[in-house]
Amino acid sequence: MLAQTALTTAQRSDLGASSTDGLVGKLTERYRDRITGYFKIPAIAPRFSPFPPGMSESLIDALAARGISQLYSHQREAWDALAAGQNTVVVTPTASGKSLCYHLPVIEAVRQSRAKALYLFPTKALAQDQVAELLEFNRAGDLGVRAYTFDGDTPNDARQAIRVHGDIVVSNPDMVHQAILPHHTKWAQFFEGLRYIVIDEVHTYRGVFGSHLANVLRRLKRICAFYGVSPQFILCSATIGNPKQHAEALIGAPVQAITRSGAASGERHVLLWNPPVINPDLGIRASSRSQATRLARHAIRSKLKTIVFAQSRLMVEVITKYLKDVFDHDPRKPERIRAYRGGYLPTERRETERALRNGSIDGVVSTSALELGVDIGSLDVAILNGYPGSIAATWQRLGRAGRRQQPSLGVMIASSNALDQYVVRHPEFFQNAPPETARIAPDQLLILLDHIRCAAFELPFSAGEVFGETVADDFLDVLAESGVLHREGDRWDWIADSYPAQAVSLRSVADGNFVVVDRSDGKQVIIAEVDYSSAALTLYEGAIYMVQSQPFQVERLDWVGRKAFVSRTTVDYYTDSIDYTKLKVLERFDGSNAGKGTCHHGEVHVVRRVSGYKKIRFYTHENIGYGPVTLPDQELQTTAVWWQLSQAALAEAFTSKQDALDGFLGAAYALHTVAQVSVMAEGRDLQKAVGSGETASSSGYDQQGRGQWLASEKAESEDAVFSPTVHLYDNHPGGIGLSEPLFLRAAQLVNDARELVARCECKAGCPACIGPILASDEDRRSPRGLALGVLDLLA
Amino acid sequence: MSALASKLRALQQQAGSAPTKSVASPTVDIAQRLRNLVQGRERRRAQPLVAPAGTEVAAGVYFVERRINSTHTCDAWMPWGDLGHVARDRLVCFDTETTGLAGGVGTRAFMIGALQWHDSSLLVRQLYLTTIAGETAMLRIFAGWLAEDSVFISYNGRSYDAPLLKGRYRLNRLPCPFADRGHVDLLYPTRRAWRGVWENCRLATIERNLLGIVRNDDLPGSEAPAAWLSFLRGHSAVNLRRVIAHNDQDVVTLAALLDRLQILPLEESALAGKQVRTATLPARTPKLEIYP
Repeated sequence: MLAQTALTTAQRSDLGASSTDGLVGKLTERYRDRITGYFKIPAIAPRFSPFPPGMSESLIDALAARGISQLYSHQREAWDALAAGQNTVVVTPTASGKSLCYHLPVIEAVRQSRAKALYLFPTKALAQDQVAELLEFNRAGDLGVRAYTFDGDTPNDARQAIRVHGDIVVSNPDMVHQAILPHHTKWAQFFEGLRYIVIDEVHTYRGVFGSHLANVLRRLKRICAFYGVSPQFILCSATIGNPKQHAEALIGAPVQAITRSGAASGERHVLLWNPPVINPDLGIRASSRSQATRLARHAIRSKLKTIVFAQSRLMVEVITKYLKDVFDHDPRKPERIRAYRGGYLPTERRETERALRNGSIDGVVSTSALELGVDIGSLDVAILNGYPGSIAATWQRLGRAGRRQQPSLGVMIASSNALDQYVVRHPEFFQNAPPETARIAPDQLLILLDHIRCAAFELPFSAGEVFGETVADDFLDVLAESGVLHREGDRWDWIADSYPAQAVSLRSVADGNFVVVDRSDGKQVIIAEVDYSSAALTLYEGAIYMVQSQPFQVERLDWVGRKAFVSRTTVDYYTDSIDYTKLKVLERFDGSNAGKGTCHHGEVHVVRRVSGYKKIRFYTHENIGYGPVTLPDQELQTTAVWWQLSQAALAEAFTSKQDALDGFLGAAYALHTVAQVSVMAEGRDLQKAVGSGETASSSGYDQQGRGQWLASEKAESEDAVFSPTVHLYDNHPGGIGLSEPLFLRAAQLVNDARELVARCECKAGCPACIGPILASDEDRRSPRGLALGVLDLLA
Repeated sequence: MSALASKLRALQQQAGSAPTKSVASPTVDIAQRLRNLVQGRERRRAQPLVAPAGTEVAAGVYFVERRINSTHTCDAWMPWGDLGHVARDRLVCFDTETTGLAGGVGTRAFMIGALQWHDSSLLVRQLYLTTIAGETAMLRIFAGWLAEDSVFISYNGRSYDAPLLKGRYRLNRLPCPFADRGHVDLLYPTRRAWRGVWENCRLATIERNLLGIVRNDDLPGSEAPAAWLSFLRGHSAVNLRRVIAHNDQDVVTLAALLDRLQILPLEESALAGKQVRTATLPARTPKLEIYP
């Protein structure tokens, strides 16, 4: 019945457009008040360059067979830079022929001198894409180049052949780390011929992952030196603010950046969309989800191929269901809508990619999984349900719509959370802000220690040997003391019976994927995989887990065995977890005064617990029940920056303790927002916790980013001395270098937060400035005023 | 964050939270911080121990040798390999003791034992390391024992010992002696002939049940890594002596097993390897000789 409602609504709202331009016209006409920003990016004519003089005939023929008679300017620039012996990073948009920048020089080197090349992609899917493209190119020109993927799925008997016969080995950083480097003697022949190392999608290697990769590359270069080679690096990136610097930080060597794309692109419309206000007093807006589904319906009805990006796997399933209820309600007709996200099995994802490429489906709903360069052909409309958290990721997603010749449309829909509201209300910020810089901290002590341990396994260390930028001796002494290394004179050798790379995961602290096992039909079928960090949030017993919007209920979670047993179900609700965070200060690195309070930077211990879940009914989104969850806590030791006020200081400025607390919570909310903008962190990388003194607890963020600061939580900290504190912490073990710059900019942040709150257009406070407020707050002193009062104390 | 910043941060932590305090050497503090992180145990380096057996033939390499009388000189018949008849003096039964089973280039062989037929006797020679730095010399010496037409005999050596040594030769930038020599792994014919007869086909099981060899005070192979480490760290040489004896018996057992495989009934031989034509059978069946 609900589906029927959705259907009729959809029919009513048909705009009757039949082209991108038409749709843009209708949208701007009908929804003028929701569009806070509109810009048009003009079509760009291609810039070509002739083939370089050194390029062989057969390569030119192979290109001709694919209809290419000249190069884009950036492809030629890359060729020239490499020919001049430089490491190169190419920064151009998706679908600009980026991969030819490395295929051409690599294939030439393979053919002329039987050189070898190693390609690294962040995911297996991208690696398989590239091998398919290489093989096709190879066939077209009969080039005789042997390219293979080498990943966790490569069978053992094929590995030997790949090591010996592969000209181009296409792999991922994890395999280099765990399988290639620790067995480098088996790869001796490959290393001896290694001429190029290609690393694509380098913008994804930031934070922890990037810091690990930089160290894997240090190890790789160390092994290369052993075999007497120093390969050139070719890197590719989506648009980021610091491609050259980031590439240099990753490979630890100078890099030439090629940033001007020569590829053509069609005209592009970009709309910033703010859902309408439905309760002006509380500043509550319609959900971004409702807007995203509506826009997707308009676009698909206008016969435009559409992609919707959602912020979470759960939201992907919810939106997919709503769109399927409209477009796929007739099971006799071919499917028009599909979901795509991490956790689906590879075969299912490949199938969706194929369907997108050949245009057999009309809409896809995805997480950031499709942000990367997976080949899905060209689409017309990209709809972003929520601000992805960074300018770079926003453009990356918007860029998924865009054809060479035709216009395309991208819509960024703001959710109610503060960061989204900030961006959508400052279209000039969005339009002019440089894309984020990618940060890595390769010398983070624990990461460095992990990789020196792995490096020592691979080759002995000599006294005074420099790893990256650090003389390794002290690290080696520490490892020797723990018994894994043995020192003999000026040399440290690996001595333990263990395989250190196995214990170091490049992507997260904890390892071990969970598999989701469907027991519906009596047999056990694996239907999905869930990574460790999100298992607690999605696979608790009682959870509704959705795959292609088909709900499954989790019946049993085997935490140790990493399995969740589910069965198919028909329910009209989905579940959303409730999690709590507790934080404790371990050590202060540095501190300063902040107005009448203090600001510190140091090390903290964070414990996260999923305490229960809510059942939320489809369509109405009413909360229809709760369930308990008992799962182990997840712990994290990291760095944080925190502001603290004494009770006395607060008491001086506020008449009631309740006011002081409300003000503090509002200020904390605003500080978190401006801090995210300031370090250009993604929301999940920088978390907030509010409490008293050296400890804090808070509710986590649920799917819409609603922060809930309830009176009961405050009461919890009403012990002897009450000193409200807001912590902003790096959401990675050991910290990843976000909190230190925040500490250095603390005063500026407080000013920015004041400005954000002071300039907000709401009455008493709203999700865009100090967070959602309770209806009862309206009658009392304005929470917004209270927050300003607290920020004044900290300034 | 730069390395310098990391160090400074660690420094600040060491010096309490006061950022201006000066400390003599930041590197000392980094080490201290790391020590805390890994909670490494304090280990005292003891005086080097006296090697338990043999003579030092190169820096850090000890050599042990013994001869066993044998009248056995006929060719070895190995229908299960590609080699068929091989003159006894070409055979090299070998076995290594390693630092573990973890695999990868971090695992090394600290002992190599070899048995060769030599002038109507069996020559058992062993090399072992008393320092890690001796590895290159040990690998060189072992390669020196081989003739161009030597044939390796091992038990599971094709999958384990040979690839491991191959990696070690590569790491030490030495030519690999396994590259162009024959290698007969007795595990395969043994398994074909006696699979399922005893609980498993491990060498210890086979030698006890098939060859009737009983070892006294044997140190299980799995304890060899700890024994060597204990010696290397100056704690004790006792178990390393037992490893030497264990390794010696392993190669002797190999020779005995080879002989036992010679007298397999024809059908078992055929089962054990590829089809053998009668014409290639040896003129006389060699008799089984169990070595001491």
